[in-house]
Amino acid sequence: MLRSTVFGVLAATALIAVSSTSPSDAADMVKKIGAGEGAVDIVAWPGYLERGETDKNFDWVTDFEKKTSCKVNVKTAGTSDEMVALMNEGGFDLVTASGDASLRLISGKRVQPVNVDLIPSWKKVDPRLQKAPWHTVDGVHYGVPYQWGSNVLMYNTNIFKEPPKSWSVVFEETTLPDGKPNKGRVQAFDGPIYIADAAMYLMKHKPELGIKDPYELNEDQYKAALTLLRQQRQIVGRYWHDAFVQIDDFTNEGVVASSSWPFQVNILASQKKPVGSTVPEEGATGWADTTMMHADAPHPNCAYLWLEHSINPKLQGDLAAWFGSVPAVLDACKGNALLTDEGCKTNGLDNFERIHFWRTPVSKCASQGTCVPYYRWVTDYIAVLGGR
Amino acid sequence: MDIAVRFERVSRHFGEVRAVDDVSLEVRAGEFFAMLGPSGSGKTTCLRLIAGFERPSAGHIEIFGVQADRLPPFERDVNTVFQDYALFPHMNVIDNVCYGLMVRRVSRRERHGRGAEMLNLVRLEGLETRRPSQLSGGQRQRVALARALINQPKVLLLDEPLGALDLKLREEMQSELKTLQRSLGITFVFVTHDQGEALSMSDRVAVFNKGRIAQVDTPETIYARPATRFVADFVGHANIIEPASAQRLAGRAGTFALRPEKIRFAAGGAMPETGWAMTDGQVVAAQYHGSHTRYEIRLTDGLVLIAQRQNEAEPMAASADGRVRLAWRLDDMTPLGPDSEAPP
Amino acid sequence: MTALALEPMPRTSPLRRLSGVLYRHPHLLLLALLGPPILWLGVVYLGSLIALLLQSFFSIDEFSGVVNREFTLRTYGELAHPANLDIIGRTVMMAAAVTIAAAAIAFPIARYMALHATGRTKAVLYLLVMLPLWSSYLVRVYAWKLILAKEGIVTWVFDQLGLAWLLDGILAIPVIGGPSLSISYIGTFIVFVYIWLPFMILPIQAALERVPASLLEASADLGAKPRQTFRKVILPLAFPGVVAGSIFTFSLTLGDYIIPQIIGQSRIFIGQAVFIHQGTAGNIPLAAAFTVVPIVIMAIYLFGAKKLGAFDAL
Repeated sequence: MLRSTVFGVLAATALIAVSSTSPSDAADMVKKIGAGEGAVDIVAWPGYLERGETDKNFDWVTDFEKKTSCKVNVKTAGTSDEMVALMNEGGFDLVTASGDASLRLISGKRVQPVNVDLIPSWKKVDPRLQKAPWHTVDGVHYGVPYQWGSNVLMYNTNIFKEPPKSWSVVFEETTLPDGKPNKGRVQAFDGPIYIADAAMYLMKHKPELGIKDPYELNEDQYKAALTLLRQQRQIVGRYWHDAFVQIDDFTNEGVVASSSWPFQVNILASQKKPVGSTVPEEGATGWADTTMMHADAPHPNCAYLWLEHSINPKLQGDLAAWFGSVPAVLDACKGNALLTDEGCKTNGLDNFERIHFWRTPVSKCASQGTCVPYYRWVTDYIAVLGGR
Repeated sequence: MDIAVRFERVSRHFGEVRAVDDVSLEVRAGEFFAMLGPSGSGKTTCLRLIAGFERPSAGHIEIFGVQADRLPPFERDVNTVFQDYALFPHMNVIDNVCYGLMVRRVSRRERHGRGAEMLNLVRLEGLETRRPSQLSGGQRQRVALARALINQPKVLLLDEPLGALDLKLREEMQSELKTLQRSLGITFVFVTHDQGEALSMSDRVAVFNKGRIAQVDTPETIYARPATRFVADFVGHANIIEPASAQRLAGRAGTFALRPEKIRFAAGGAMPETGWAMTDGQVVAAQYHGSHTRYEIRLTDGLVLIAQRQNEAEPMAASADGRVRLAWRLDDMTPLGPDSEAPP
Repeated sequence: MTALALEPMPRTSPLRRLSGVLYRHPHLLLLALLGPPILWLGVVYLGSLIALLLQSFFSIDEFSGVVNREFTLRTYGELAHPANLDIIGRTVMMAAAVTIAAAAIAFPIARYMALHATGRTKAVLYLLVMLPLWSSYLVRVYAWKLILAKEGIVTWVFDQLGLAWLLDGILAIPVIGGPSLSISYIGTFIVFVYIWLPFMILPIQAALERVPASLLEASADLGAKPRQTFRKVILPLAFPGVVAGSIFTFSLTLGDYIIPQIIGQSRIFIGQAVFIHQGTAGNIPLAAAFTVVPIVIMAIYLFGAKKLGAFDAL
């Protein structure tokens, strides 16, 4: 009890610090773009910034460098936590932060407000994303939406003739359509944010808990989610962490259902493996990434030039085709040769309302008084994985 | 007399190398038997064949009448004192000494009683708890001896046990070993390349050459009557008198050995007596050795003889130009047989 | 002293004078030779260790991920959380099991190499032991994932031999079993033993190599049967080698974070905890505290080994 109180106080202090400093940050916002500094350093997900080195059709960096003379240096990061760590370290201009990192960056004062008036294409951004809570605090924008997508339920089409209707195949001990139990044949993600997937499942199956948002859980709801995950631990052999290890597990380990990304689905499908993907009735968690700017960005002008470039329809369409994601600019969905006109729909454009976007759980939450903050998600999820 | 160890046409080959080549020999029970020879002559391999570390490639070995060709070392009533002593570095002195009893499951109390006796015997009381690394060379040697004797072997094998000791200690140990062997009555088989050691300690000596035995006999006979040129040369110093010189000097056919101390310096005008040979020569070098002096004397036909003379009260009667007259008993000339050569 | 020695020294080059000084003061030479490595060890090695230790006394603001540079024992308190104790216990158990198994497998191999093999055989054996070390560690671990997979070669072999029931039986063992070898503690264990085995073989082999053949002959000569020679002479003399090897296997297992991530049941080990907390979560204090754990364990281990006399022969 004492421990949670101490942590609560600490987290609350952090929040107070955020709200009290935000306005002054807004006043320090860049007012106009000067000449480019010749370079821009970006922390990004692997595959997010392509310069045609993997496949020459996918290149949205070279023409930017030609046009602006800003050389783009990319540092890839494998997880949100790594991104936060890199930004805490400093020396970068921009980061393609997911919702579970963005609020942490804002409260840690690692990123600065973005003056959307300096970005002409801002008005083209999908209106559903323009004021998204993972980058807008007190009406101040801390970044420009980049791409979004949803996690999916990947399944083996030899076992499931019909797409599974519910996530229950990975959460509950059950018998699969081939008559064998699912124990040892399903997987889950090994990151703490997966607790939200459990909470999302409970929203539908245990309405009496009153979960309104899977990222905002009070003690009882949180406990129920952990109970569900402990139950899941019994049927999951190995949790997936590395996309390629999961691909191998579907190929060689007899794994037939798991939460996954469109990325793995596309690769396995391209290898003619019997896999399909679906978003079951409970919905899905997803990610929405925002390009954010470091508070001490060494090249602010090039950074602004990139922010404008990042939401041009050509880049957005190409990236969506490459990554299996959905563009932040709807104009990108039409007339892109790589994405095709069906691409946005395939990648889940219409699922927007059913997707619970990754956000960092904090103690002071909107839907109810106090929620369980992220640091406890980390330790508790490690404990669940350890079978405790 | 019982035979302790019998070799019957034993050979031990390592690939092409005939380390021991068709050796037959008998070691009598209770004797101090030395195996003497230069390195690589096969003496150590013979010892290892007795101990059981090597098995004969051909022939048979008996130990006290028991066929031992295939007997592993731990089933032979034979113990060894190794050249490097081979003390167990992780055990203290008493545990080393009692090792042979321990592996035979003798109780700790009895073990230590006998161990103390053994240490007493080799005069190492009070060092029970030392590690081998804390002992001097001589002390290690005694521990190795005590360890090998505690099992009361019928035959004790000693592989150059004194080689690592300094001169004074070596001489001390020589007489001690001899006394010990007498008092225990155990057969000792002793390997050495030091002829002095072999002659002074043993009842009988086997001289090894190229995997074969050149001669087996008492030290006196080995020295006085070497059987072959190799033995004459290897054991002490010898003048080898080739057939041509032998004919001229003594009127005898064959090759002969003549020990330097058997040559007398005769008076200038002395005449030959029956049974004696006599010749003139020129002293070309003299080496002073304290108790005696050794001379190199060139004879008129160019043959160089080594002669040795005790440094007595009276100085030697030699003419000013170094001319001397030498004389020796014809009986002191030992006829030499051919050296055994390994067949090609 | 003769008058000659009192005359002024002939003019010499500075280099010669330096040589002279060094010759007359050997400790100066020693200092010059040992200085740089000691400095390196002191600054780079000990320095980083101390920095690490310091970090573990800081704490992290869990929400923003910013390290709070004030002295606190809170991070060590977190280490006592049951889930973290699980991680430590699991890792130590695995390291111990791997060490024991590696020693058991390595000993006969090392013994054969040191005491029996000669010439060509010995060279080939050396090569076989060292060969795996020449290829990438990661490649070998991934290869093992395929070997141990449900659809992998091991399962296939068991199937072909009609022993599928045996494999299933082994995998059905609670705790250490799992859906397939690659998803079980058994798999993690197998791969750990495989990867660290050379580090156990080589020190034991080196220790046995130093045992003079005459010691073994002396033992047999005194009446010891081969089994007794092994127990009373070979084993005690190889013990320092076993301890040296176990220090390798034990500490390497304690710190590894790749194998349990690829092979096993996603139950994390100390190395992974360090990796997750520093690389990923930026929780340097907790990572540092986790790093202190193997250091403490190894210190206890070495102390124990010393008590057992493992270093007496050094």
